[in-house]
Amino acid sequence: MIDPGHAVERELPSPAFEGESRRPAQSYWNESWERLRSNRIGIVCGSLILVLALIAIAAPLFTQFLTHYEPFRLDLDNTFQPPGHPHLLGTDELGRDTLTRLIYGGRVTLGVALLTVALSLTLGTTVGLAAGFYGRWIDDLLMRFVDVVLAFPAIFLFILMAILFRPTPITLAAIIASVGWGGVARLVRGEVLSVKQRDFILATQSIGARDGRLIVRHLLPNVLPVLIVAASLGVGQIILIEAALDFLGLGIQPPTASWGNMLTNSQSYFFHSVWLVYFPGITIFVTVLAANLFGNAVRDAFDPRLK
Amino acid sequence: MLAKYVVRRFLASIVVVLGVTLITLVLMDRTRGTYVPGIDLNPALRPEDIARLRTNLGLDQPFYMWYLSWIWNVIHGDFGRSMIDGSPVMSHILDRLPNTLELTGTAIVVGVLISIPLGIVGALRRGSKTDHALTVVSVAGFAVPQFWMGLLLILVFSVTFEQHGLPWLPSSGAASPLNGGDLLDRLVHLIMPATVLAFFYLSVWSRFTRSSMLEVLSQDYIRTARAKGMSERRVVYLHGLRNALIPLITLVGLELPGLVSGGLVVEVVFGWPGIGRLAFERALQYDYSTVMGVTFFATLLVVAGNLLADVLYAALDPRIRYA
Repeated sequence: MIDPGHAVERELPSPAFEGESRRPAQSYWNESWERLRSNRIGIVCGSLILVLALIAIAAPLFTQFLTHYEPFRLDLDNTFQPPGHPHLLGTDELGRDTLTRLIYGGRVTLGVALLTVALSLTLGTTVGLAAGFYGRWIDDLLMRFVDVVLAFPAIFLFILMAILFRPTPITLAAIIASVGWGGVARLVRGEVLSVKQRDFILATQSIGARDGRLIVRHLLPNVLPVLIVAASLGVGQIILIEAALDFLGLGIQPPTASWGNMLTNSQSYFFHSVWLVYFPGITIFVTVLAANLFGNAVRDAFDPRLK
Repeated sequence: MLAKYVVRRFLASIVVVLGVTLITLVLMDRTRGTYVPGIDLNPALRPEDIARLRTNLGLDQPFYMWYLSWIWNVIHGDFGRSMIDGSPVMSHILDRLPNTLELTGTAIVVGVLISIPLGIVGALRRGSKTDHALTVVSVAGFAVPQFWMGLLLILVFSVTFEQHGLPWLPSSGAASPLNGGDLLDRLVHLIMPATVLAFFYLSVWSRFTRSSMLEVLSQDYIRTARAKGMSERRVVYLHGLRNALIPLITLVGLELPGLVSGGLVVEVVFGWPGIGRLAFERALQYDYSTVMGVTFFATLLVVAGNLLADVLYAALDPRIRYA
């Protein structure tokens, strides 16, 4: 199989000149953390994500003390109020406060994204480890299945599954993860194949370590950097997919607010209430932007091959 | 060697296509229950009518029988009839496919034509203001939700322009319903949806061209070319660009499936009568045969795109060998 990714072999750091190291030896994790910390854009974006997550977690506090509205409370006397006072970001067609709904929508959107990442990583890592470690027919079988999953026009699969399972936040995460794990599995398998060749694995095997120990204690820590990078680069894309599904009416169902489904009917507001088009979109855009830039920073910090 | 490789990949591809269509059918089979598409529209039907309908549509068989007969028919070039309106699935697909190809094809071509020069500029003037600006555009293009960008374009170029009496762009469809359909009319309809799609491709491919170009320009053979006194222009375009584009070909090849399914969200926003929207609408109505047909086509393109990308990559880059 042609796999351009493997044309670039992992370059091992050259052994330090004995006795004359310029700086104290640092673990890989410390070094990566230092690299990440010195990346200003990465830190700003990471903090922004953290703040958004905190706001989402503390949503009831914010709505109680800042916006003074509840996400579901209709107020039919005050529909389409422009941004200002008392509704900071205006109200929608049912008089619901936009800012409140954005904050609560963040709970759903970020929660789904987090769950999706967790699910794809767990499944993908398990399959990738098994395929890479055991090889032979297990590898063939699992990887052909991954081929099928990745060849599926993803959006069709999402549509079919969204019709099949009535989307709640949890099933929605499962639906998106059902495609996402394939890429992770390929990635992990590739890493395992290269780590497996190294001497310490042979050494561990020769002192009689069982397969389970070998996989969990020796292979897994070595694929962890790849997983961290994949996870942080994946968040933004997952939020975009989720928003698109919500927009199409296949994701989170009203009245539960999500950033995507707040835009579903927005074409009908073009003539009088454009803020209903602006705010959810800007929120998605900024969040995905921050997630992507943070992901880039994490990649630069954790993947020594790319430096 | 190459022939053997292609044959093996081709056989593997058939397995993939079968797998995908099977999963599609299983998913639909789980959803349908005892449902006959469109039945809820007609309250006058008696139970025996429904039973007859189900027999006619093949819905009384277990899904694996349905699948086997579907495959048999597909091998013979028959994609069956739509379960909603009884017309051949093939005619639906052929009806919509040109629109989709017009949209996504334009976007991909525009994306390639613009992203390569931008990538070269970024690489040659690395660290300059131009480079930084291009990075910002590319990062933005990767983060903006396509449907929202579509909404904003409609808001500005259709709604606001019209309100101010400026020449505005049509917000929906592939051609005007009345007196439409000539080249100019279609082109005007194409501008906004193609822009949204092209912007995404652009942001990915220009980055890619840039980093690929930077990597190539640091190679020894580039230094050799410079050392022997070759003009910078020849070095960059003859030795640099030609090698830098090889990985881009793979990337564009991998985007071929996007020809069919990539534009779905954009098609929905702009009311574009394309194949993605067809699948979307028909899936909501449980029209199995149509969804199966579209999925089959789309998967075929995925597989063909992957295969083409790999083979081209191997053919163009002598360092890659097939095992």
